Amino acid sequence: MRYVDELRDPRLIRAVAAEIARLADPDRHYRIMEVCGGHTHAIYRHGLVELLPPNVELIHGPGCPVCVLPMGRIDDGLALAEQPNVIFTAFGDMMRVPGRRGTPLEYRARGADIRMVYSPLDALKLAQAHPEKHVVFFAIGFETTAPSTALTLQKAKALGIRNFSVFCNHVLIVPAIRAILDSPDMRLDGFIGPGHVSTVIGCRPYLFVARDYGKPLVVSGFEPLDILQSILMILRQLAEGRAEVENQYSRVVPWDGNRAALAAMAEVFELRPYFEWRGLGFISQSALKISEAYADWDAERQFDVPGVRVTDPKAAQCGEVLKGVLKPPQCKLFGRECTPEHPIGALMVSNEGACAAYYHYVHRLAAAGRDD
Amino acid sequence: MWPSDVHPELAQYGSCTLDQDGCTTCGDLAVPVIVLAIEGQEALCEDRCGQRARVALDFLEDVCVGDILLVHLGVALARIQGGNECATSMNSVIRD
Repeated sequence: MRYVDELRDPRLIRAVAAEIARLADPDRHYRIMEVCGGHTHAIYRHGLVELLPPNVELIHGPGCPVCVLPMGRIDDGLALAEQPNVIFTAFGDMMRVPGRRGTPLEYRARGADIRMVYSPLDALKLAQAHPEKHVVFFAIGFETTAPSTALTLQKAKALGIRNFSVFCNHVLIVPAIRAILDSPDMRLDGFIGPGHVSTVIGCRPYLFVARDYGKPLVVSGFEPLDILQSILMILRQLAEGRAEVENQYSRVVPWDGNRAALAAMAEVFELRPYFEWRGLGFISQSALKISEAYADWDAERQFDVPGVRVTDPKAAQCGEVLKGVLKPPQCKLFGRECTPEHPIGALMVSNEGACAAYYHYVHRLAAAGRDD
Repeated sequence: MWPSDVHPELAQYGSCTLDQDGCTTCGDLAVPVIVLAIEGQEALCEDRCGQRARVALDFLEDVCVGDILLVHLGVALARIQGGNECATSMNSVIRD
């Protein structure tokens, strides 16, 4: 079993789907949340929903950092981009995300020096190449992305590069899972846990899901067979009355994560007391800020950040979709006012958003009459 | 398996490549690469299509030539542990 073809083997996939159908109690409705946007995409791309019995429902979780970032933070970042003598750097994924007065691309068209970078390490190199300027990096992402920001700041400090700072918007997946579990309008039977986030944090941080809430969580890979096996493992736990954290993706995810990356994050970041998530509201200790030891590289300390708060468009039901209460097409704006070309809600902005995934793989094909 | 694959075995750890790494902010779609050479704290790596890049090794110890790493934003985050347990256990489902 060496190649990906085997993880997409129709014979194996049919066998696992049959086992899922056999295990699923017909008198019960199962709601399983895939936390990660990468899983959401894989589920739609490979048509996995069609392989499941109707009483096994997949709920799309909040696993897209762009989607959960409030518009006010975009505006705060763009305010930094308008400062004189600043080069503002961001990932390509951020360039189309709208603030109140436009996207980073539109700000650049109006004269702001905004540049796309692949890695924060590239932003640091830009600072070295332009000592006459101050380079700000817009840091965003979960625990997979935070280590590269941490490493970049460690290097900036070690090299004494002072014309560089980070506008930190890193968020943490575990508090978001807890917030969803605490949500009164949410009823879930289990979780498909994020794959590569878990390479950094490991599986232990999820233990509370099983211990305190009695729900199974299975860390999963991204191939069709990975995801189906994870669903099968969750159903097995439920059938046997177990609630445990299991690692389906053990070929990649170590149980204890990456200790060196976690240590770098612990040195460079501190927990924010609270942080606003689009659609989910304020969640305590759910995001990172730059630690005191790295204050000289913290854009929020180096600049006067306005602290903008923007209310989401009332008609968009992103919060309900983020929490899995609604499916994307159940939102009143989906596919009409809100499309990937003209996104209104956050989940349509990012490629990883549940609405964008549903639009791309299901809605568009259905509209073209090719979904069967 | 893609026709252009130089290292088809890497695809079982993710479909992303060094020039197509999905959503960078998400990072839950990291890039599997194979180590060609170690140069100090960096490794010269190759993805499944044969594209090469230098990758920071600060978060991994004792990386060797031939290791398969999972990379995000130019930083190696994990070393692949080994066999494909998923497909192996699925074979047992079929046998049952």
